[in-house]
Parts: sequence; C-alpha cells; structure tokens
Amino acid sequence: MGAGPAGSMVARLVAEAGFSVLILEKRQELGAPIQCSGAISRHALVENEVEPDPEFIHEPVYGFRVMDGNGRDETIDYRKIKPDTYGTSADKKPLGYVVDRRRFDRYLLTKAENAGAEAWLKAEAIGYEKIGGEVLVSVNHFNEKKTIRTKIIVGADGVRSQVGKWAGIRTHIRMTELASCLQIIVDGVETNGLLEIITGHHTAPGGYAWVFPKGHGYAEIGLGVITPYTPQNAKWHLDQFLKNSFLSDRFKKAKILEIQGGGVPLAAPLKQQFADNMILVGDAARHVNPITGGGLHTALSGGTVAGKFLIKHLNSGKNHIAENMAIYQENWLETIGNHMWNLYKVKKEIFGERDIAAQDEKLFSTMSNYFGPESIYKKV
Amino acid sequence: MRKPVIFEIGWNACINCGACIAVCPHEAGFISDFDTIAVHTACPIACMKCEDICPVNAISHMEQADSLQINQ
Repeated sequence: MGAGPAGSMVARLVAEAGFSVLILEKRQELGAPIQCSGAISRHALVENEVEPDPEFIHEPVYGFRVMDGNGRDETIDYRKIKPDTYGTSADKKPLGYVVDRRRFDRYLLTKAENAGAEAWLKAEAIGYEKIGGEVLVSVNHFNEKKTIRTKIIVGADGVRSQVGKWAGIRTHIRMTELASCLQIIVDGVETNGLLEIITGHHTAPGGYAWVFPKGHGYAEIGLGVITPYTPQNAKWHLDQFLKNSFLSDRFKKAKILEIQGGGVPLAAPLKQQFADNMILVGDAARHVNPITGGGLHTALSGGTVAGKFLIKHLNSGKNHIAENMAIYQENWLETIGNHMWNLYKVKKEIFGERDIAAQDEKLFSTMSNYFGPESIYKKV
Repeated sequence: MRKPVIFEIGWNACINCGACIAVCPHEAGFISDFDTIAVHTACPIACMKCEDICPVNAISHMEQADSLQINQ
C-alpha cells in the first residue's frame, strides 16, 4: 500500500523473485504533492541498486555548508576535501543529488512494474480482515469497491499511515517529534552545489532551515519547526527567514515557483513494525533519520531489507503470523535500525538541552560533524 | 472535560501534507478524503494537536454544540 520509494522498492524485489505483487496507490500522480526536499546521497542509491539517472536528478551536490546565523559558517565541500573522487568532470562523481520526487517515485514504480509487479493508481486501501491465514483487503479503486485476497500486506502509506493502525499498532507521532516543514522553490537565488543548512532556535525552533540547489538555476528554501517549541507555525518562520534573516539579502530577488510542505518524523523508529500478515516500511514505520530528517535513504534501505525478508519468508513456506513477521524487524535493526536508534539518542540529547544557547551549540556542532569526512555517522 | 469538536479545514491553505493525521491519536479512519483529519465527524478527544502541527494554520474547530446550533 503506497507507491512511494519504500513501497516500490519492496515491490520490485519481491516481484523480481517471482512472487505476485499488487501495488495500491491512492493518488493519481506519484510523488505529488511533494513533501520532501529530495536530497539523497549517491551512496544510498548505489547501495540499493538504483542507478543515478538523469530522468530524476534535479542537480548533483558535492558537499554541505552549515551556518548558525551568528557568524559560524562551515563549508564541507568534497570537491576540495577529496578532489580525486568528487567533482564535476566525467571521471569524478557527485556526493549526492537533489532529486525530483515526482520523477523519482515514477522511476522506482517503473522498475517494480518491469520486474512484474502490477500497480493500481486511484486505489485506496480502506481496511482488511483476516481470513484463513491470509487477509482480505478492501479497496476503493476509481470509486469502485473491490476486495483482494493476499498473504501479506506492506504498509508503505507514508507519514499519515493507516495500515499500522488497522493492526492496532499505536502509530501516531508525538508533537515534539514531528517537524512541521514548509519549503518554497524559487528562481533568482544562487546556489553552489552544496546543501546549505541553517541551525539555531532563532531560525527554526526544534529543527533547522535549508537552502538546496534544485537544478536549472532554481533553489529550494525551507525549514522545519517543532510546534511545542514555538507559538508560530512553519509558514511564519519561513517568512521571517526569507525577509528578516542574515540571508535575506541573498533572497531579495527570489521569485516563488512552488510551495511544498509536510510532516517529517524526527522520532524514534516505530517499536513494532509488524503484525499478523503485515509489515510497515518507510515513513509509515518512521524510517526517517531523526537528525537530518532525511527519509529517502532510509526508505530505500528499509525497503531493501523488507523485500529480502519477504522473499526468504515466502520461500520458507511458514505461515504469516506476527511471530514470523517479527524477523523483518530484527533484520531491519541489524542492518540500519540500531544505527537509527543511536541517531535518535543523539537527537534527544541535543533538543533535551533546555538552555537555548547550549542547544544551538550542540545542534551546530552535530550538524557540522555529521557531514564531515571523519563523521561517525558516515553513510547513513 | 473537553467538549467534542468538529474540525474545519481551510482548503485553500491546506497543502495536503498529512501532518495532522500523523499526530492524531484516533484509531484508524479519522481522516477525510483529502489527507486531512476528519471534517464531518465530531472529535471527542479534542486534543487540538492537528491544529497545532499544521504548517499553514489551515485547521480550525467549532465545539460540537455550537456547530449544531449553527446547523439548526
């Protein structure tokens, strides 16, 4: 359920292994409305066997710039740090990309369909019941009620996930752990192949702001805030960032092209990501990096873990009770989950600091270390 | 004890981000057809988290009694 990156990743792997896969997608267009900055490392794509393809790449990126608005400004440009590896020439590679989520999601769905998966758009799953070791899923497809019998359902239905709730799992996210995000795509703001991150309670309470290159000379300016940390909403903070911040001069000629927003979980991963006949992946399982808010890498990697698990499980001939589905979560913890739990602890340490100056200091140093060449968080 | 409320979405401001559903403590199904919390059903919890999380302040509410009066 859900044809985002996580869902399509699972579908592709399981279909490739010869199993029958149906993808249900509620919307008529994939990736839209966009709720994501689109930043992903090259490593994340390669690791999950997604070829970096011009079809979905807005712009390659080569590093980071972290600023705090009080004069601290650290550039981590891999074109300078490792000039033999990273660069624009044909024999070198970018560090990562900003992708077009519409095209990226469509690309991944194509891969799944080419592998043999079937996809229905305008198909909303509205619930399921257990029946003889399998499940009967109710679907509203182009306003027509249908039922589908299947062995296992994969809840890849995003931050607004209902699939977990159907199984009785408490999936709702705490207010202090869902960043309320808003970004605009603009023309007239220069960028330089770097992901720019602006930390500080003054700019984005509980989160951070960003300026990302978006291809064709466009840029993406956004921020995420944690609601209990501020009486204002994300839109107000973004307006302030544009008009009354240390970067306002640079934004003066910004001409707005698009508005995008979303809720980004800066949360602990869901403690239970499975039930009888069901597993959760992607945002639905809160597979989101709690420090950066990045969810693409974690969705692809979580999808790969889920796909491999399902193939092994379906080949084993075991039934689909929760106890057997639990192996998915164990695999996930080993591969990526335990690491995400550690990131969550770091994040809690930062924002658990009540003294705002000390919190700002912790966030700035964590962010600048995070993206540095000696980062202990490397490759997540 | 809070009174049940009926939520109203300013559809012109709503960006369909789903954040309101993500923080909603209801069981499955308290949703509208447009990726927001439910609008035609009274909410007995009335925690207002959905209103608070909305990045664009698109959600407001009426206490159920008030809305009934208006409907009458």
